[in-house]
Amino acid sequence: MNKIKRLASLAALLLASVGAQAQVAVIVNSKSPTASMTADQVASIFLGKSNTLPSGATAAPVDQAESAAVRELFYSKVTGKQAAQVKAAWSRLVFSGKATPPKEMGSSADVKKFVAANPDAIGYIEKSAVDGSVKVVLSVD
Amino acid sequence: MQKKSIWRLAPLALAGLVSMGAHAQSDGAFTVSGFATLGATGTNSDVGQYAIFGQNRGASKSWSGEVDSKLGVQFNAKANQTFSGTVQLLSKQNGDGNFNPEVEWAFVKAQATPSLSFRLGRMGGPFFAVSDFRDVGYANTWLRPPHDVYGQVPISRFDGADMIYQTNTGIGAVTAQVFGGKAKSMVQRTEVEMKSLVGFNATVELESGVSLRVGRMQGKLTVHAATLNALVAGLRSVPIPAVSSVGDQLDPNSKSASFTGLGLTWDQGQWLINAEYTQRRTDTYASDTNGWYLTVGHRFGKFTPYGTVSQLKQVSSNVDNTIPKAGFPPATQAQLNFLSANVDGVVAGQRRDEKTLSAGIRWDVVRNTALKAQIDRITPNGPGMFLSVPSNFSNRVTVYSLAVDMVF
Repeated sequence: MNKIKRLASLAALLLASVGAQAQVAVIVNSKSPTASMTADQVASIFLGKSNTLPSGATAAPVDQAESAAVRELFYSKVTGKQAAQVKAAWSRLVFSGKATPPKEMGSSADVKKFVAANPDAIGYIEKSAVDGSVKVVLSVD
Repeated sequence: MQKKSIWRLAPLALAGLVSMGAHAQSDGAFTVSGFATLGATGTNSDVGQYAIFGQNRGASKSWSGEVDSKLGVQFNAKANQTFSGTVQLLSKQNGDGNFNPEVEWAFVKAQATPSLSFRLGRMGGPFFAVSDFRDVGYANTWLRPPHDVYGQVPISRFDGADMIYQTNTGIGAVTAQVFGGKAKSMVQRTEVEMKSLVGFNATVELESGVSLRVGRMQGKLTVHAATLNALVAGLRSVPIPAVSSVGDQLDPNSKSASFTGLGLTWDQGQWLINAEYTQRRTDTYASDTNGWYLTVGHRFGKFTPYGTVSQLKQVSSNVDNTIPKAGFPPATQAQLNFLSANVDGVVAGQRRDEKTLSAGIRWDVVRNTALKAQIDRITPNGPGMFLSVPSNFSNRVTVYSLAVDMVF
């Protein structure tokens, strides 16, 4: 009986940690005047439809590597688009000379470092990776 | 594919190697990107060939890799927040019949304010809804833009300047562009020129995912066709107004021409709809046409089946053959009949009427590669957009196409 209880709490713990991992935080510089953003605002920056932050400053977005799980999650949750749709949308912008896609970073730590050092930066990382060096403006499950 | 055409593809392969060496290099200030399509096209017809308008060779029962295959490499350099430069080299079967890479774009851009930019140099002619990326197969759902609409203007770029204004309004993002310059293109080995080219277009992207576009361009069209100019001179030398005026109507030198289009794009959730309605008007032998298409597609994960219905309709030949059929001495009448038959031949060759039903599927295999298959059933009334067909051609032709589209 005790064993079952222990297993159950272990399962709950596992579920909770999976839940935590599956959360994405959109982050900006800690000194940014922006307190929060809507998914639409974030999506237009990452889909190249807008290049400005709510403050009016020109946004410096950074992306995660194409292979990163958090990237798939971010685009599906925040923009509602699949990876191939996002790629096609960017190829339309790139090959019409209208915009260049966000710079890709190797890891969430690199994204955090870039955002912490850049007043107009915007990026996204796993919620569990958030610390005091950056500010969360949107989080999605 | 014949041995000869493999050699014609050699520059394409070479450009591919060069671009692979530069694969997606990016250090922020300088970026290299590219796109490629490897296509194969065949039809069920022994008569005539299916080709993109302007090309010299196409597909018949004997399949061709030359209709859709292409490779583009684009270089972007950013000097600072304001100035940047873009060069795009494109290799595809051109109007000269080879795959020699051409400078499709070469412009400098000044981003004066976040919403206002100016460009100077060679850039894509914004005549259609998907002008800028019409050659980037990966960026489009279809295997190729609907030919009944996109075949009307065999010019893809111009040399000049433009101004683009982008702003967010209460109803959505608005982009407006005005441009001016001149353009030159080879169409089936004949040089076509547009001078005094001016135009504008405006697109509004509504919150609902609907995007609406209106555009127009106009200029002075010259077609450097030696035989046509000889016919015009012959007609004008006849001292009968009913004959010489036909020469004036056929004259392909510095004649007004315009192209106007309305576009609709709706991309929401798993559905996508694209439609355009366009009008080509000229004051010369090139016929006045209206072209439209409607595409509906639905995404099922990595697969996007789609269907397109399109039509190209001639609204006027612009030529009223008033050469008298009788009433002259036999020797004179014979000459007039000869001229008249030539005029009728030119007019018949410009009959572009055709209807097309297409069905296809796009499969997003991996993140930067899509495979496509498409079938088009084309019913022309006259030559339509086919190559090497008699002017009374009206056979229904089925076109089968396969393509691999990549971006890098």
